Amino acid sequence: MSKAPGNIVSAEVTPRKSSFKKYIPFLLLAPVFVYYAVFWLWPVLSGVKEVFTDLNGNFTLTGNFELMAESDLFGEAVFNTAAFAVVSVILQYLIALVLAVLLSRKFKGAKLMMFVAMIPMAITPTATAILWKTGLVRDGWINTILMNLNLIESPLVFMDASGFNAVLMIIMIDTWTVTPSVMIILVAGLQGMQRELKEAAYTFGANKWQIFKDITLPILKPSITTSIIMRLIAAIQVWAIAVMVMGYSKVPFLVERVAFYVDVVPGVDTSSKLAFTYSFLTTVVVLLATVLYLRVSRQGDKRGGEKT
Amino acid sequence: MMDRLSIVQKTVVSIFLAGMMLLVVVPLLFFSTVAFSNATEMSEFPKNLFPSFNVTVLVEAADDGQYEIFYDSGEGYESIITTGKADKLEKHFRRQYSVTVSGEQLLEDFARTQTEGPQEFTYKKDVFYNFKQFFNIVPNAASALKNSIIVSLLTILISLSIGSLAGYAMARFSFKGKSQFNVAMLIVRMFPVVGISIPMAVMLIKMGLYDTLLGLALLYSVPNIALTAWITNSIFIGINQELEEASMVFGAGRFQTFMRVTLPLAFPALAASSMYSFLTAWNDTISALILTNENQTLALVVYKAIGTTSSGIQYAAAGSIVLILPALVFTFIIRKYIGQMWGGVEL
Amino acid sequence: MSYLEIKELQKRYTSSGPLIVNDMNLLINKGEFIVFLGPSGCGKTTTIRMISGLEEVTGGDIMIEGQSILDKKPKDRGVSMIFQSYAIWPHMTVFDNIAYPLKLQKVSKEETKKRVEAAAAATDIQGLLKRYPAQMSGGQRQRVAVSRAIVVEPKIFLMDEPLSNLDAKLRVSMRTELKNIHNKLGATSIFVTHDQAEAMSLADRIVIMYKGKIEQIGTPMEVYQDSATRFVAEFIGTPPTNFFMTTIERDGGGLRAMNEFFRYQVPKSLVSALTPYLGQKVEMGVRPEFISISPEMARTEGYLADVEIHFVEPQGSHSILILDMGGNEIKIHTSRYMDIQAGTRISINVKEERVMFFDCDTGVRVK
Repeated sequence: MSKAPGNIVSAEVTPRKSSFKKYIPFLLLAPVFVYYAVFWLWPVLSGVKEVFTDLNGNFTLTGNFELMAESDLFGEAVFNTAAFAVVSVILQYLIALVLAVLLSRKFKGAKLMMFVAMIPMAITPTATAILWKTGLVRDGWINTILMNLNLIESPLVFMDASGFNAVLMIIMIDTWTVTPSVMIILVAGLQGMQRELKEAAYTFGANKWQIFKDITLPILKPSITTSIIMRLIAAIQVWAIAVMVMGYSKVPFLVERVAFYVDVVPGVDTSSKLAFTYSFLTTVVVLLATVLYLRVSRQGDKRGGEKT
Repeated sequence: MMDRLSIVQKTVVSIFLAGMMLLVVVPLLFFSTVAFSNATEMSEFPKNLFPSFNVTVLVEAADDGQYEIFYDSGEGYESIITTGKADKLEKHFRRQYSVTVSGEQLLEDFARTQTEGPQEFTYKKDVFYNFKQFFNIVPNAASALKNSIIVSLLTILISLSIGSLAGYAMARFSFKGKSQFNVAMLIVRMFPVVGISIPMAVMLIKMGLYDTLLGLALLYSVPNIALTAWITNSIFIGINQELEEASMVFGAGRFQTFMRVTLPLAFPALAASSMYSFLTAWNDTISALILTNENQTLALVVYKAIGTTSSGIQYAAAGSIVLILPALVFTFIIRKYIGQMWGGVEL
Repeated sequence: MSYLEIKELQKRYTSSGPLIVNDMNLLINKGEFIVFLGPSGCGKTTTIRMISGLEEVTGGDIMIEGQSILDKKPKDRGVSMIFQSYAIWPHMTVFDNIAYPLKLQKVSKEETKKRVEAAAAATDIQGLLKRYPAQMSGGQRQRVAVSRAIVVEPKIFLMDEPLSNLDAKLRVSMRTELKNIHNKLGATSIFVTHDQAEAMSLADRIVIMYKGKIEQIGTPMEVYQDSATRFVAEFIGTPPTNFFMTTIERDGGGLRAMNEFFRYQVPKSLVSALTPYLGQKVEMGVRPEFISISPEMARTEGYLADVEIHFVEPQGSHSILILDMGGNEIKIHTSRYMDIQAGTRISINVKEERVMFFDCDTGVRVK
């Protein structure tokens, strides 16, 4: 090897610097890890521990679950939650889809209508509860409208509803509040879709319905999946609207029971156990539902992405 | 041509959309009317669609310098009260009609009926009466408002700082365990908060943070950090990496680049996503329910106000309007960014 | 009877807005490969979209084999379109993508399979039928788009800048393949592009458009050598035509085109055409390869001026010499004097038969 003339300048690679670079992502993620270890993992684990220890501190596998199953309104809570989750998600998804498709078209006032459709989502749940409570009482505005339209002779008593009727009322209020947030996700998905994909189908002879069924819907699938899962998870945890409009124990749901045992009867020993156990049950149900839905929807999903 | 609708289709669409608009607007109108209603109007049936800002009464002179007040609830004037005392009149008008005119002034006005016979008087309602009453009746309403603001801002601070760091890391670096991390974040994001509220409360008590605003903010941040990380991840991915590389070629370190190049570009979308954090904290009731006692948030306070009775609900309605305003403003501002935010995210 | 006729075609988007396509007239014969060429915004894509049925027609008519197609839905018009972005449906396999048009026509499964495989063979993608678009390169996706257009056996192929999204090398090879397919199928095609080299190599006839109007229709040679307007002369050819602003004056029995740099004797064949322009300005145009160079002070036929070379761009087979004439950049294409240095003073001459003159107001060529 011949010597190079003049000065040999060797490029120095500082090993220290390059290995530090490797650690940057972990440094950035460290706060998240720490945060979640303390504020999520620990509470989750201790909550789980609570569920499996009885009042004396001994391990019990099913003790608290038996306690829960025998407690007041358990059956109704489970049934209501299931019925509510299924019906409300389907209903909201269908309405949101129609709205998203209609409002994504370009016409005068589309943007304004979109904003109006989004308003219910922006209203605090508490305010929504007041809004509907004032409507549902005997001398409320729902009866006012119905009587003005001559649909009923005398005021209906909504507040006395129970069982499935009550669940239906909650579904109605929830749909009013929540459909916009589903609609938004679908609108974003629709707007992201290339126009030419639809045009190509049109040039080959597809009518509007075929374009929607064969092209739009399949491409929209990720948005649909996202929105349905998010709604499902939230629906299983419904409680606040039921309590604020009807009161505790009138329309039981899983999380409503949790709130009941925390808010109404916190002093009693078993309350805390019941609250933990109901929370645990809810969590398990949510996770199961999510996994199940993902599995079912991924079955037909071999393609790469939605944008070519 | 593809988008043209037949007349029939257009009509159906119009009906559907009109129906939707009505369904949204009508309840809201009734609600706002309630927020402005006085006590008398609350007991009327049928209810009014639009708020009224005036009150009309019929006054007839009675014996001993007293006046009989008549009010029309929809079925003709009915006698409500007969009195000649200034303070009684004042109380009645204030409580029942939200009219804040002094008793002496009322007596002065009514004097005419002694000579001119029974007359109608119209007074302006004190528009903010219900709001004032809300802050009077509901304990701690004013401080609850302050608390809500502080907690929400804290939540943004915590979520944004920790979450955006994670989002940036995931967008710009590839490292071992990245996909597992993604899945883990997914789980946390989906996790029902109710599952941890109670253990959180226990832990916060142990840490001495029970019933503190910081404690609440910490709890709210749990799902929010994951959400912020998710959203900022897709935001940062959307920002062309070459812009950052150019900055670094010119000698800026990674942190400087982040502050001077990346952050300003990401700012609008970051602002939009941090407002989500703000709103979750602002609107939440159950976590506040579990974790606070004295230091309640506005949402919690309004919630408790409904629970009491059906009467006086107009004050709760007024209070909740304060609750709604930030959210409405937020939705209006970010409606442009919705597409950006949700367009790229996938489960 | 022509195969496709476009008659007085007009398009505007709003009633008070500008005309995007302005009174277009064109006759296309069966089997022709027509290229719509022009810069962005000239109306070429809008026109093709009107032919396909994706856009409404504001005025005029479009007829295929003598019958107006304006009332017909796209699939009934007998046209098939290839989009710039390919518009391949990401959730369907290649097979399903190509088969979809047939599915819409309710073609039987066996027949569909046959036709799809034939269409795929035409673009050589038989091996990709089971793949999804996300698993393929841009070039492969483009072929899927072509196969899909072929499978419906249309009367006319419409191609909207199908090569624009490919890298340079792929563009050139796909160019040839597309023309091959066109020839093999005996198809009639309309190809839209803004790339003049692409148009020149593909077209039987080029339709050059600018601001909604047709500037010229002709074979590549015609538009190149016999440019109808200043726009065409400038748009076609690389490097583009050199332009000189001149005034027409008497020169003995003939005319000369004059400016501060040269006095050029107008070829006899153009004297009568240019006489009406006496005393007025006309624009003179000469293509780079029709300017020859001689040593300075030489005075050969077609002499124009003495100039200094500013830059030389060697291209291998030829060199481009760049000179400056009063701020006007002139380019010369030479294969003889490739080694000449910048700074050399030379004299330049123009080939008489190739000089073009254009009316300053209308841009139309004076002949």
